Amino acid sequence: MKKLVEIKDVCKIYNPGENEVRALNHVNLTIGEGEFVAIIGQSGSGKSTLMNMLGCLDTPTSGKYYLHGQDVSHMTDDEQSDVRNREIGFIFQGFNLIPSLTALENVELPLIYRGVSKKERDRLAHAALNSVGLEKRKTHRPNEMSGGQQQRVAIARAIAQAPPILLADEPTGNLDTGSTKEIISIIKRLYKEGRTVIIITHDPGIAQQAKRIITISDGEIKSDIINENYVD
Amino acid sequence: MGTFGEYIKSALSSIKNNKGRSFLTMLGIIIGISAVLTVLVLGDGMKETVNGEIDSMGAATISVNLDTTKTDKTFDQDSINQVEENLKNIYGVAPSFTTWGYVKGKHTQYEMMMQGTSEAAKEGGSVKLAHGRFFTRGDVEDCKPVCVISQIAAEKIFGYEDVVGQNIELTFDDRTAEFTIVGVTENTPQDISYAGYGGDPYFIGSAPYTSFATAFNWNIDDFTSITIYLDSEYKNDVLKQTRSVVENVLGIRGENAVKVSSGYGTDQTTETILNIITSVVAIIAAISLLVGGIGVMNIMTVSVTERTREIGIRKSLGARTSSILVQFLAEAAILTFTGGLIGIALGLSLAFLICKVIDFAFVVNPLLIAIVVAISTAIGLFFGIYPARRAAKLDPIEALRTE
Repeated sequence: MKKLVEIKDVCKIYNPGENEVRALNHVNLTIGEGEFVAIIGQSGSGKSTLMNMLGCLDTPTSGKYYLHGQDVSHMTDDEQSDVRNREIGFIFQGFNLIPSLTALENVELPLIYRGVSKKERDRLAHAALNSVGLEKRKTHRPNEMSGGQQQRVAIARAIAQAPPILLADEPTGNLDTGSTKEIISIIKRLYKEGRTVIIITHDPGIAQQAKRIITISDGEIKSDIINENYVD
Repeated sequence: MGTFGEYIKSALSSIKNNKGRSFLTMLGIIIGISAVLTVLVLGDGMKETVNGEIDSMGAATISVNLDTTKTDKTFDQDSINQVEENLKNIYGVAPSFTTWGYVKGKHTQYEMMMQGTSEAAKEGGSVKLAHGRFFTRGDVEDCKPVCVISQIAAEKIFGYEDVVGQNIELTFDDRTAEFTIVGVTENTPQDISYAGYGGDPYFIGSAPYTSFATAFNWNIDDFTSITIYLDSEYKNDVLKQTRSVVENVLGIRGENAVKVSSGYGTDQTTETILNIITSVVAIIAAISLLVGGIGVMNIMTVSVTERTREIGIRKSLGARTSSILVQFLAEAAILTFTGGLIGIALGLSLAFLICKVIDFAFVVNPLLIAIVVAISTAIGLFFGIYPARRAAKLDPIEALRTE
């Protein structure tokens, strides 16, 4: 299996000096292409820092992060933006749709930043909305949709330009049971279609849906196991 | 370019989503732009109106006056001819005098004024003939007793208009002579305004100055002022040369005795006053635009704070610093550009109304409009820089954490 994510001896230290906080402490982690990984941890465990690191929103204090073989540990803001745009599809707990834009316009955003032509953008955005079953809602704004529908738009946005990694941060944290099932089944389907999926969560029930479960605590990886109970 | 269009679109939709607030923000710009535009258009209209009047009165004349306290030199026929020869691009030079006297009408005598001049007054004075001809150089040189009078004077004296070939009896200084009318000139605003005094005295027309001299036994070698007739196109050039030419011809040196002025001193005064008014209003407008600009900066800063999360989302999706910067700059610029357009519409309407009321020409210089549009957009770009940079520099993690 080809290495997609390779984190080597990464530390992230906030407030270096007397009151320093080691959010990540010598973390090593490798994720291959096409894996379905859950990273589980309590709040304050360092999982958010790890997710920011994986999503190229943050850079390590020390250590290296290779994404797709490229060293992304020390980059300018704009270089990070480009890597995020190219490599990562984010799915957030709070959906993070832009309220003033319609579903379709929200899905088009990353394509705009990539510089995709209007015609191609339109095609890709429609296809993505279609794959989450929301084509009929394309002209709706976020406040006209349920939480589950909003999260489906967010997923469409994350997959529209087919990035190698889907990074989901508590994707069902704000959803009821019904919507949760729906979102999980979409994420599973995306995994089966060949995408690499990383879910960050504090909920063991959600983590159990993944094929590989990594537990993080106090900024260190405590366990990294293959989920025996994984159901397709 | 395609993505730039997207930034504009998103800026537009954000303005549309905050209609009330956007309008209030634009208000300062609207007031400033419409104020400055109204005054500038009125200024252009005034210049156009004044110039129009001057043209019809024979705009291009230059007066030369000798200060008799500083020199005892005067113009005689020779020196007048020499001045004429030494100046380029002129129609001619004539001693200018207006003389008061009487004209015999059908039933009664009228008090009146006539101008003694040369044939150059025809071109330089933009004289239009209704009937007959103007007097010629030959008439001037041969001191022929001919004259031209205005339509309104013909009506008054003869009771009808086409009086070419008729004689009129003129009396100046107790001497009386008969002059033959060779032409009837179209009424000028000047003729009409003189006639407006009710009857006499009024300005009836012109005759060769040499003819006056011969007929009334005047000395024509002792003029202290002359008029140069020319096309207004050359006015500035000729103005520059006139003084030295006259000083050379008369042999006056450095005594500051030659006063040169362009025919209509009043229009310069009006222009000066107008320029002062324009500068004052320009300063007020500049202050208003500055305040408007600060308003834009303020509202954009608020907008950036309100939309911190949106900025975080955009950055997480791959927006570069420059994309965010352009988006917010475009928003500020569109805001002031739109304000500028509304201000232009308002300013032009206001100027149009005022021009109608005070009877000015309504002139719109397209360049002025272009400059105003450019300035209003520039205000947005300038005052948008601070908030836009603030937005662009936001840390995506922090921004995403904001509720």
